[in-house]
Amino acid sequence: MKPFAYHRPASLEEAIALLGGAAQPLAGGTDLVPLMKAQLLAPERVVAIRALLPEGVRHEAQGVTIGAATTLNDIEGDALVRQRYTALAQAAGLAATAQLRNVATLGGNLLQRPRCWYFRDARVHCWLKGGEQCQAREGENRQHAVFGASPCVSVHPSDLAPALLAFEAAVRLRGPRGERAVALEEFFRLPEAHRRSASTLGQGELLLEATLASHPPETRSVYLKAMDRQAFSFALAGVAAVLRVSARRRIDHARLVLGGVAPIPWRAHAAERALLGGELAAPLIEQAARAACEGAEPLALNGFKVRLVRALVKRALHALDEARGPQ
Amino acid sequence: MIARIEGPEKVSGSARYACDVRLPGQLYARVLRSPLPHARILRVDTTRAERLPGVHAVLSSANAPAISWYEESWLFDRTVRFAGDEVAAVAAASEEIAEDALRLIEVDYEALAFASGLDDGARGEPALKCRGDAERALREAEVVLEQTYSTQAALHNALEPHGCTAAWEGETLVLHESTQGIFAVRSEVAEKLGLPEARVRVITQHMGGGFGAKQIAWKHSVIAALLAKRAGRPVQLILDREAENLAVGHRNATRQHVRLGARRDGTLTAIAVHALVQAGAYLPGGEDSDVVGTYHTLYRCPNVRTEQVVVRTNTGPAVAFRAPGHAEATFALESAMDELARALAMDPVELRLRNYASEHQEKGKPYTSPESLRRCYELVRSALRPGGAAAPGSATKRRGIGFAAHDWAGGGGWPPGQARVEREGEDRARVITATQDIGTGTRTALVQIAAEALGLPPERVSITLGDTKEALYSPTSAGSATLATLGPAVRRAALAAKEHGAGQGERGENRKDRAIRTCGAQAVEVEVDTETGEVRVLRVAAAHDCGRIINPALVESQVIGGITQGLGYALSEERILDRARGLVLNANLEEYKVQTAADLAELINATASLPDWEANETGAKGIGEPPIIPTAAALANAIFDALGVRIRDLPCKRERLLSS
Repeated sequence: MKPFAYHRPASLEEAIALLGGAAQPLAGGTDLVPLMKAQLLAPERVVAIRALLPEGVRHEAQGVTIGAATTLNDIEGDALVRQRYTALAQAAGLAATAQLRNVATLGGNLLQRPRCWYFRDARVHCWLKGGEQCQAREGENRQHAVFGASPCVSVHPSDLAPALLAFEAAVRLRGPRGERAVALEEFFRLPEAHRRSASTLGQGELLLEATLASHPPETRSVYLKAMDRQAFSFALAGVAAVLRVSARRRIDHARLVLGGVAPIPWRAHAAERALLGGELAAPLIEQAARAACEGAEPLALNGFKVRLVRALVKRALHALDEARGPQ
Repeated sequence: MIARIEGPEKVSGSARYACDVRLPGQLYARVLRSPLPHARILRVDTTRAERLPGVHAVLSSANAPAISWYEESWLFDRTVRFAGDEVAAVAAASEEIAEDALRLIEVDYEALAFASGLDDGARGEPALKCRGDAERALREAEVVLEQTYSTQAALHNALEPHGCTAAWEGETLVLHESTQGIFAVRSEVAEKLGLPEARVRVITQHMGGGFGAKQIAWKHSVIAALLAKRAGRPVQLILDREAENLAVGHRNATRQHVRLGARRDGTLTAIAVHALVQAGAYLPGGEDSDVVGTYHTLYRCPNVRTEQVVVRTNTGPAVAFRAPGHAEATFALESAMDELARALAMDPVELRLRNYASEHQEKGKPYTSPESLRRCYELVRSALRPGGAAAPGSATKRRGIGFAAHDWAGGGGWPPGQARVEREGEDRARVITATQDIGTGTRTALVQIAAEALGLPPERVSITLGDTKEALYSPTSAGSATLATLGPAVRRAALAAKEHGAGQGERGENRKDRAIRTCGAQAVEVEVDTETGEVRVLRVAAAHDCGRIINPALVESQVIGGITQGLGYALSEERILDRARGLVLNANLEEYKVQTAADLAELINATASLPDWEANETGAKGIGEPPIIPTAAALANAIFDALGVRIRDLPCKRERLLSS
């Protein structure tokens, strides 16, 4: 690790001022420290922000606000989150390991860099790090993207992001030019040549909190995740589903967001359209599961992810159907 | 039964491992490794590294003594042959400074062509082993099964990485080493440094696992000794996880083409195997990976022909890994036997009993415990019934049970091995050996054997081990041999001490007219999700012949550990190599997926105590390696039972199920 100056600013303003240029913010450090150890980041300044960021889950009439410094364990353990935003609690609980969830924060989870092994290997100058090409596209791409063909085929690793997107969350950001709120769906953007990152976070900007609007009590949600083992693995594919079904099984609201299959959390628009207004039953579920795979462009080694998406979407919808209880 | 003697030390954190050593003035070393799979070093310039404050010594091909290593290579060679090969080393006041110094070393490489797999590597001469006429028997066989199986490169990933602390006490080198063989390290390091063995002392008090990868001296020990000499201070060199997974061994990948000939009643008439074995860039020595061995011994068969071809590639060197060769071969042979049973519509255990071997056919000698494998079949069968009704799964979940047997050439022990026992007053005694306890509980088992012979309670007997200064030779802890080698020596010493107050014991010869084997069987029950390809292991039953069980808890620990590692081998562990660049992509514990506690199935240890008095006077044999051997085959057979899908390539990743 290259030597760096460690700053503990007393205020957010001070932190933001320190963050310009070759500086990195440190909260949980579960991604920053490995990136520095691998020499993928070599900041001159590391700015401790954890104590300055909002922390905890705040329930209010209009919804819930989760501070960026809230740990994944605290999100998973919040009784009202578990009840009203079930998919989010499930996603938090399925991430990483208990030890990591104890220190990893919401903000860091949303802003973590991809786990692509070419990106993480300092010997490989991949496109995302400013190189000419993506080595995964023709290389070992079993874990890579099947949607969102961009110059980079890494996948967004977060479990929480699909769940937050499915709840139409917004994030509040603060930077040198003040504060702004942006829908999470706008915040994540496929990487482009001039912005080799999955987020639109500005230079020196900090993510302060995420806000989820309240929703009618009959809303149900679920997060399902397929992994290479039962714990301590990023998703091969994940699906967050939020559904509202009227008394006669008619679907009034549907949001399906996939994780682990695209460079950003991936909304399954076609599946949502298939569901809206329909009757939540086996034939429609099957149709929506197929629709969720529309537009998939698997690489040489990850065709199975398309089947996984289909199976997980189907299961998520069946689970939500069962969660409604007997009619 | 007594609890592990060293348990309290380990639980309380007071047990000292090689990396816990802190000596006055101690330095910390790091190694610069090649970023390319094959290259010539045109220039190494360490000037800037040497100037960094806190750096005490730097070694590279520019200044290191010419010490030969591997076959025709050097400690710091001008040619690097895999990404991870040693290029230079630095000793500094801290690991961080040493890391910084590595970045200041300038190296110019000339990249060379490289090979990365079984298909593009250089093939050695085939090693042919024949009994009878397999080709003819295959032509005449009523049924022939012909299939190709492949196994992956698997990484040991012991919790404790390789490493040592090297200190010169005058002209004597003291090495605190994490090793399975303190005498092997002593003689190899002494030879490399041109020292008499008496001037090298190796100490291993505790080890966090070796699994075969720590049974030889690796470069780090000599590098640390040289750096310590140059710096005039002790040097600690512990490998990081990446180096651990690149440079100090793995289980070789194999491709095995298997032909079985049989009569319709299931009697095997021919076994013919062609095995490609990926060795990597160097042959580091240690226990051989005998991939074809079990094909000659597990079943009675008059015609066996095996060819083993070593393939050299620009990847890290392969080295022994818990039952080297046998774990790979048993996956193929026991999958093939399952396929044959299906083809003949026979019960898989019946097929194995039909071909039961009670003698070592190559040596023409009966086994010391010829019926023990049969007993293991029965024990496993009654613990988890193969062919019985599996609990019904849901619409998208199918359950199945698979069975596999194994034998193992190790576990019997052999001379030499020495021990002393000294009585301390009327009711106490001390065992003195120089074996090492590699985490398996050797201290405890040897104390129990001594206590039994002395007629004392085990808590009155203490033990010293793990230091070559004791001038009592012990072999490397490999081949599951430690207990069966040292146990009889300790017993003899204890009997002598009982008589005379103190005594020395030597391990006697094994019987010349018998062959010793260890063996066993496992059954695995899985539940396979037909939509997601997920395989969940529900239950594993295991019975292994380890002779007389000295300590049931220690045996069970090995059974649990072996099965857990075996399930990882079967399901999730695989070194991933980028073939275009020759780079290992997952030399870490995030992407190299060992099994977690959450993955563990219900383990039914049906292992019975089966004293083998013809093997040695303690009746005990080894259990370290066997439990990993049959797990992968039993799991693949269970998947077939569940789905009718045959997995012939390890690991059984979900895409292999979903594409079938």
